[in-house]
Amino acid sequence: MKKTGNKFASVCGVAIFFWGTMAVAAEAQPQQSGASSVQLQPSLATGLDYERARWHPLHFKPAIDTATNEQCLSCHQEVLEPSVKAQSPAGVKAADSLAWYQTLEVYAGEQETFHRRHLATPLAQRVMDLKCNFCHQGNSLREEAPIPPTNTTKEAGFTLRKMVDPQETCLRCHGTHPYEIMGLPGPWEENRESLGNSCTSACHVAIRTSRHQVNYLKADEIEKAGQENNDTCYGCHGGRQWYRISYAYPRHAWPGMPDTAPDWAKDRPTESDPRFRLDTPVAASAKDSTTSTEPAKSEPAKSGDAKP
Amino acid sequence: MAENATATKDLSKIKEAVKRRKREVYKPVVPDLQLGFVHNNVDCIGCRACEIACKDKNGLPAGPRFRRVQYIEGGTYPEVFAYKVNMSCNHCAEPACLPTCPTGAIWKRKENGVVDIDSTLCIGCRRCEAACPFGAPQFDPSDGLVKKCNLCVDELQSGRKPYCVMACMMRVLDIGPIDKIRDGTFETKAVGPGETTVRAIKNMANPELTNPSIAFVPHSKGKLGA
Repeated sequence: MKKTGNKFASVCGVAIFFWGTMAVAAEAQPQQSGASSVQLQPSLATGLDYERARWHPLHFKPAIDTATNEQCLSCHQEVLEPSVKAQSPAGVKAADSLAWYQTLEVYAGEQETFHRRHLATPLAQRVMDLKCNFCHQGNSLREEAPIPPTNTTKEAGFTLRKMVDPQETCLRCHGTHPYEIMGLPGPWEENRESLGNSCTSACHVAIRTSRHQVNYLKADEIEKAGQENNDTCYGCHGGRQWYRISYAYPRHAWPGMPDTAPDWAKDRPTESDPRFRLDTPVAASAKDSTTSTEPAKSEPAKSGDAKP
Repeated sequence: MAENATATKDLSKIKEAVKRRKREVYKPVVPDLQLGFVHNNVDCIGCRACEIACKDKNGLPAGPRFRRVQYIEGGTYPEVFAYKVNMSCNHCAEPACLPTCPTGAIWKRKENGVVDIDSTLCIGCRRCEAACPFGAPQFDPSDGLVKKCNLCVDELQSGRKPYCVMACMMRVLDIGPIDKIRDGTFETKAVGPGETTVRAIKNMANPELTNPSIAFVPHSKGKLGA
């Protein structure tokens, strides 16, 4: 009797274990589908299995420099699929959540992943022309670190534990608004009313008028969007500030430029990175139609240093 | 009628207040004390006991790693070298992850500067993961949530050190007030006699981005400019 009881308990235990496992698996399924579908399927582009595809030369320099979005997204399409949960485990609804930077008038739409916010949302498609290799310049699968170490993060293209170099990518639009060097009386958010709540109607109609002349931005569209709503300008120049410093935008020469640079501009480059220049063949060859086909148009410098 | 007018006036005041409030920007918390890590890149043998202790403490599956020991190697025979860099969340003075979070799941503790996360509030947008310059927030594909090191805050509250520090057999990893670690006044076995610490090493993201609370005893080949 005792033996039978033990057997019954064992059977029940096993059944409960499998039921629990299946329940957990079923619960986890929706969240896992995006990532695991990529991991389990052979690479569409290369015909390689997942482990071999991870070491494909396209993931490393120099091939990654000319990788197109089609090539990257043939395996990583899931980054463009909506995957934010409708609500958190504690019941916080995504639709009811609002971060401080999401109160900008130009911030629209549902909660999205950062990949979709940079590649797929209407504002991103209107003002940016980002390529996968704008951020992703290489990685190290084994150590998440450049091996051997390089003297600068720019040489490696990525930093310890990151697949990107935030200082050369994110910081361009997620740095502080350098109101001090711009000669403003205080932070923009505190002075915007007294400055007419417009960047382009007062100051930037005359100074630094040749802006955003790089292949990852749509300069003309940015100008239009900035005229329509000042939050477009502020959004990338302080309104979505993650970092405590500003990006050191290149300081292009302009007619009548003084011979001596102010202290804050002394170490700044005088030209954009070659891979972002509008006339660079590498940049042109990396263009594709996955996110957008419209190139940023160059315009002659009028005055002031271009940003970036 | 008068009541309606008052109500309308109040409503407009509320709208104006909401508008004003909406325009308020994120202000980082300034902690009373900022704890941080110190790691000796030279003496670390790369046993990864800290990683495993962390995984054990936090019940992490294969994949997400709050702490990561990295083997950095280079040179040409016979001039070869190897050293270890060990990082988890650096509990930055001005963390980049925190302002990105739309649900308030990430916050900075005033008493010790720990950047903490309540993953039950996470909706899996992964913005914190993207913004962190040091790869600290980790996405767990098993539940679609982002999780990260919280410096074992429960251990701290019990007067003990985090699991990773306690597991370090070489005593090359420690925590303490970061200003004391930096000025060399914090007594720790992680910094040997005659050794000094640095804020950053080769290939680490620029510490000016977020002011991470970590210091390293650098390897000669890992020093910036070496």
